[in-house]
Amino acid sequence: MSKQRSFVVNLMVAVSASALILAACSSATTPNAAVSPTTAPGADAKGDAIPIGIGVAQTSNVALFGQDQVAGAKIAEKWINDNGGINGTPIKLVLQDTAGDENGAINAFQSLINQSKVVAIVGPTLSQQAFAADPIADKAKVPVVAPSNTAKGIPQIGPYIQRVSAPVNAVAPNALKAALKANPDIKKVAVAYAQNDAFSKSETVVFQSVVTSELKLELVTVQTFQTTDTDFTTQATNLLNAKVDLVVISGLAADSGNLVKQLRDLGYKGLIVGGNGLNTPNLFTVCKAQCDGIFVAQAYSADTDNPVNKAFRDAYMADQKKTPSQFAGQTFTGVQVIAEALRAVDKKSKLSGMTLEQIRTELNSTLKSGMKFTTPLGVISFDNQGEILQTQFYVAQVKMDADGKAGKFVFLNN
Amino acid sequence: MADFLSTYGSLIVSMILAAMLGLSLYLPLMSGQLSLAGAGFYALGGYIAAILSTKVFTTYSGDLYPVSYVLIEMIVAGIAAGALAVIVGILALRLRGVYLALATIAFVEILRVLSLNIDITGGAIGIFGVPQPFGTPIEYLWIALPMLLLSMLFVYRLERVRTGRALIAIREDELAAESIGINPTYHKVLAFMLSAILAGCVGALSAHVLNTWNARQGTFDAAIGHLAFVLVGGSRTFAGPVVGGLALTLLPEALRQLAGINGLPPWLAQFLREGRLILYGLLIVLGAINFPQGLITPAMFKHHRAAKDPTT
Amino acid sequence: MDATLLLQQILNGLAIGSVFALFALGYTLVFSILRVINFSHAAVFTLGAYFTYALTGGAFGFNGLLANAQLPFGLPFPVALVLGNILAGLTAMGIERLAFKPLRARGADPLLALVSSLGVAVVIVNLIQYLVGAELYTFPAETYGALPPAVNFGTAEHPVQVRTTQLIMFVVSLVVLIALTLFINRTKIGTALRAVAEDETTARLLGIDTDKLILLTFFLSGFLGGIAGTLVGASVSISGPYFGIAFGLKGLAVIILGGLGSIPGAVVGGLAIGLAESFVPGQYVAYKEAVAFAFLFIALLIRPQGLLGRAVIRKV
Repeated sequence: MSKQRSFVVNLMVAVSASALILAACSSATTPNAAVSPTTAPGADAKGDAIPIGIGVAQTSNVALFGQDQVAGAKIAEKWINDNGGINGTPIKLVLQDTAGDENGAINAFQSLINQSKVVAIVGPTLSQQAFAADPIADKAKVPVVAPSNTAKGIPQIGPYIQRVSAPVNAVAPNALKAALKANPDIKKVAVAYAQNDAFSKSETVVFQSVVTSELKLELVTVQTFQTTDTDFTTQATNLLNAKVDLVVISGLAADSGNLVKQLRDLGYKGLIVGGNGLNTPNLFTVCKAQCDGIFVAQAYSADTDNPVNKAFRDAYMADQKKTPSQFAGQTFTGVQVIAEALRAVDKKSKLSGMTLEQIRTELNSTLKSGMKFTTPLGVISFDNQGEILQTQFYVAQVKMDADGKAGKFVFLNN
Repeated sequence: MADFLSTYGSLIVSMILAAMLGLSLYLPLMSGQLSLAGAGFYALGGYIAAILSTKVFTTYSGDLYPVSYVLIEMIVAGIAAGALAVIVGILALRLRGVYLALATIAFVEILRVLSLNIDITGGAIGIFGVPQPFGTPIEYLWIALPMLLLSMLFVYRLERVRTGRALIAIREDELAAESIGINPTYHKVLAFMLSAILAGCVGALSAHVLNTWNARQGTFDAAIGHLAFVLVGGSRTFAGPVVGGLALTLLPEALRQLAGINGLPPWLAQFLREGRLILYGLLIVLGAINFPQGLITPAMFKHHRAAKDPTT
Repeated sequence: MDATLLLQQILNGLAIGSVFALFALGYTLVFSILRVINFSHAAVFTLGAYFTYALTGGAFGFNGLLANAQLPFGLPFPVALVLGNILAGLTAMGIERLAFKPLRARGADPLLALVSSLGVAVVIVNLIQYLVGAELYTFPAETYGALPPAVNFGTAEHPVQVRTTQLIMFVVSLVVLIALTLFINRTKIGTALRAVAEDETTARLLGIDTDKLILLTFFLSGFLGGIAGTLVGASVSISGPYFGIAFGLKGLAVIILGGLGSIPGAVVGGLAIGLAESFVPGQYVAYKEAVAFAFLFIALLIRPQGLLGRAVIRKV
């Protein structure tokens, strides 16, 4: 018997020590007032700033997107507070890293909801993570604005979930039409997509159906790759051998950029259309001069002509020395719509007189009320399911400098 | 307390699940077989539960998914994983050491690529909207905790009955074990199958805990994580993998919480927030070096009366 | 299958396979001496590429502690390749001292070195991200001077295009492999290395300083891994701190296929997996990863000790 006891004692010590650490931490970080943020160092919170949670991937192999999302969110925080906050009360971002996995997203959301008592959450980065973490926020009746989840079924997770990232079928087809306009003689088309990426996989379905059903072109070959691939010679060789006039790529910046580079190196001269995953200046650092001429479908264009986008763009350029990406633009929009909806709620009845639960519920119904927001994405609103109603989509063509060091998306009027 | 449970409910449940995954890897290791196939059976179990609960068991009364259905899914997942394990085991268990580890990783990768490519597993997006049998995450303990205790009891007993002693004999010296009439292949496949059944059941439960299931769950990284549970916790007694699973799942979250403590200097808080995985890695290195037997060693049980060992 | 396509696929397979081989050799060298797998090798692969990138004068991004960092000078690529990967080799020596030596000193289970080196990999990857962010980096187009982007090995009608970076990958790998083989087979230190790999205790009794040789082995391993990382980085791009991790698993498959601890085995294994992957037909490219591993699984069932491995005599 003594053997078991010894083990049980050991285990209990280990577990209770862990529980103590957590308990100590949670009491250290849980403030008394319901609507009061964790005063993270460096914040000049006046004590009553309204906490908005940002739960995106700041570590792991999707941090490339996450760090851009954080940049967008921080610019939004400053812009909103510079413009009077929520009718005088500032907002305060609470950042929690979701890493790249589902458990990380769940833990980050739990912490934001229960510890930091945020009024709403912007996140997570990946659709797969959203399917894991959003049901938790929905059950806790905390509004979530998804900045980059484009998979089918995200707003349908529950009444508290909405997104500012337009689903793929809305964005993709325009770029194909622009390519056809540039070269009306296109007959044979090839498609390539990143097979382990949820977004690319749904996007390519849209691309393929537009190519065959709507534009009546011949789809010669479909190539797949992985977002983690670095060597695309097999795909590039196959595409070249298919002798096509147009290659349509759905993937993320690094893999697609490499595919373009290797395709061009091997002598492909035809047109290239990229999906929404290529809508980031990160693409330029991969294929450099060979990016030139790619048509890209955009849900966000840095050229959008409204004062909000101008303010966002200028702040982003000052900070990161490059034009903002779609990830940053959409996350800015996520924070912005929450803040503007809060202003509307506050006008009806003072936030300071409401409980946290009331604020969350009111905020959510205001977001879904059809209220229009002028954002870097143009004028948007949400339908009663939480799906974004976006009026403007864009097609841009990549234009690289002669030395291939810098480039930009040139907005096409179609 | 309510706050504590709602914040950490999911974490506590995932710690318990991790402890069971550690145990699952420990079972073949009892007979000296380093198999990393558990991640594959875990993925398989998750897919079975996700498919059954979203496509087959779709009619039930009330808001909550019946717990009995979850148990049925776990049984189905356990049987499927066990059956597949017998086939893979008979093929692969002729291999030894690192060769076996890599062959089982190959198995995990093949399953992963398959699940990315076939329709029923939902490709890269996976299967979402897995129904919930409980109102709050912490209530999963009603299933997870008894399951952990039962599997611990099972392994504890196993270490002390003939079959378990035969496994340990094979680990210590296979040829000698064979010469005293132990059938190594039978015992190895048995341990491999038990391990797969446990991993499959845990996967089935995890699909509900995570609300969703996809090809990112059963990967090389996950398999290496399970191995770390066992080696950090201690590979010579069943308590090691349990403690390792609990501790290594808790650690990154505990570091996350440290960053939130009031009054830290800004640079330190920032380091804890964004660089906490650097610390996590460092602690793994230090743990391995300072506890080369793992955190829990058999000696702790045997000499507990004279336990003056400062490392405990 | 027509002849040009066949030739094309062989060339593609050889180019990527030679990098697999180079990378896998780093695992093999350490394994042959210590009988452990160094999980931090993939992180050193990444690090080598970052070091070289920094030395060529490349600028870092706008995230992380060292945002906008850039060396005040830029070395030519070949010089940076050597210097940067000497740094990678020195890092690997540091890893030996931090994560392997203490375990040896305590006579720990060799498996534990998996865990401690895994911890080191986690530290390196996250340190890179903490310092310079998660951005992608690409070597400038003029890295290889005025060479054309691709060379045609076929005719004008039946082109067999091979990218110049692939050729360079192949040639550099080949040169390094030959140099390494000569070093191990023709020099005194190489002989000592082989003696330690054969039987450490006897080697020590013969007066060989095994500790120094282990350090040297780690240096070579880090140097080779770093070169492989840099070559891949220059051919495609450095896709962030997790750049090497995808290669880690492939490298393991290569050494297991070739036979653990066997240097020719690593080369054969690398080329075999490179070729196997390049021969996957276009419509099944989705299964490419699975093909490499199915190949590995079957090969192991037929030859449990790997293609060129020696059967280990079990103790009786």
